[in-house]
Amino acid sequence: MNILTNKLALAAAAAAFSLTALAQSAPDDAQIAGIVVAANTVDIEAGKLAQSMTKNAQVKAFAEQMVTDHSGVNKQAVALVTKLKVTPAESDLSKSLKQGGNDNLAKLKTLKGKEFDKAYVDHEVAYHQAVIDALDKTLIPNAKNAELKETLVKVRPAFVAHLEHAKHIAASLK
Amino acid sequence: MTFRMKAAVAAAATLLAGAALAAPAVHIVLIDGMQFIPQTLEVKPGDTVIWRNKDPFPHNVTADAKGGPASPAIAAEASWKFTAEKRGSYPYVCTLHRMMKGTLVVK
Ligand SMILES: [Cu+2]
Repeated sequence: MNILTNKLALAAAAAAFSLTALAQSAPDDAQIAGIVVAANTVDIEAGKLAQSMTKNAQVKAFAEQMVTDHSGVNKQAVALVTKLKVTPAESDLSKSLKQGGNDNLAKLKTLKGKEFDKAYVDHEVAYHQAVIDALDKTLIPNAKNAELKETLVKVRPAFVAHLEHAKHIAASLK
Repeated sequence: MTFRMKAAVAAAATLLAGAALAAPAVHIVLIDGMQFIPQTLEVKPGDTVIWRNKDPFPHNVTADAKGGPASPAIAAEASWKFTAEKRGSYPYVCTLHRMMKGTLVVK
């Protein structure tokens, strides 16, 4: 795949992501919890694959941080929903996140070296942007429980920091 | 009150004030929601600063300038302690999330 089609595919994937987010009806707190857990799990899995595949120190450090940070967010989310006696539930958005994650893993597994690094990091850019959009347009506005809403608001800057970090690495891989 | 007593009281007050000035203080900076709170902290040489991480993932405190705070990764719910020695202004960041910025002023 050349760079332009790769970029177009990414943009299309990101657009499809946010369209799905907009099209679906307002999720309830159980579905929001399910979306948060799915979103973090997807990035933990990609990070673990990247840790084992990459030979680039910068990409490896980033992948390690993604596994650590997103595992921490998931642990906190699970602790909160346990306390609130909410069971994370599936929704269109959680399913599309998981599907997107699986497609990404399948694609990454066919790549090696610089091609792998580039595809992983480019996807991290699109993924973090899509999650920030979901937080802003769907998750934060619809969260009913005050603690759940506060957790989402507090965690948002981490996704922004990861997005900037991924963009920075993507630029250095060009 | 006699002159002598007055002098003694004054001397004691001076001593007390001196002790209050010299006693090193402990300050806490919370790391919460990807922010250092307070963002700018002023301390005196000898004071201790504790950064307490309330976020669910690690952060660090890394000043550019020598003599400023330079922590390892501070895990979720963990703390890191630093004793301020050299006067100066020490801007710092979390190198894991570079948008996180703070300043420690030792004066
Ligand atoms: Cu940080």
